[in-house]
Amino acid sequence: MSLKLNTASGGSISLQETNTASNFTATLPAATGDVMVSGNMPAFSAYASANQNITSSTWTKVTFDTEEFDTNSNFASSRFTPTVAGYYQINGATNGGNSATMTRSMIQIYKNGGGYKYGADLSPTGSNGGTTVSSIVYLNGSTDYVEIYAFITGTTPSIFSNSSLVYFNGSMVRGA
Amino acid sequence: MFEKLKSLYPSLTDSDFDPIKGTITLQNDSDGKGDYIAKWEHPTLARPTDEELA
Repeated sequence: MSLKLNTASGGSISLQETNTASNFTATLPAATGDVMVSGNMPAFSAYASANQNITSSTWTKVTFDTEEFDTNSNFASSRFTPTVAGYYQINGATNGGNSATMTRSMIQIYKNGGGYKYGADLSPTGSNGGTTVSSIVYLNGSTDYVEIYAFITGTTPSIFSNSSLVYFNGSMVRGA
Repeated sequence: MFEKLKSLYPSLTDSDFDPIKGTITLQNDSDGKGDYIAKWEHPTLARPTDEELA
């Protein structure tokens, strides 16, 4: 059975709290099908649990080998490929703290294999250079994907492994 | 790749590889295939051949 509530233009519908212990749950609408509600918007989070040695002055895909959560099984091989079209808040962070020295540290969101949004551009003087990126990205729910790339200029550049310093996460914020 | 290019062309500096303004972009997709030249727009130096990079 379904219940549909209609209101004329300018009118309103009020929902009144329940008064019995057995009917406190209201799902409007149900978290299924094409309707995006908080219960079925894809979200993921992963981090690097191993140091990653890279080449100086080379944009390198960061390896995030440990998942914290992946609600829709859309994260694999350090790549997020959502199966639901929409707008996604994408966040990434890297840290070159395992390098001997650094003079430049950057991060970038790559979309479909190409650079898309730059993050913080640092010119560190020592061996610490944490940088972050954050952006809303439209993903078509089939072929679009995003990855995180890092760029370090320095000697023996290496990306740190740390769940709170080197991470990649995101979540849908609006359906297509 | 970075060291190889600087060896082939000693005139190259870090600014040529600048992530924003550089004319050369090197990339590694962490797929086991190693570093490669993603963009070469240097105004005077020719893009090296595969043989030169081998």
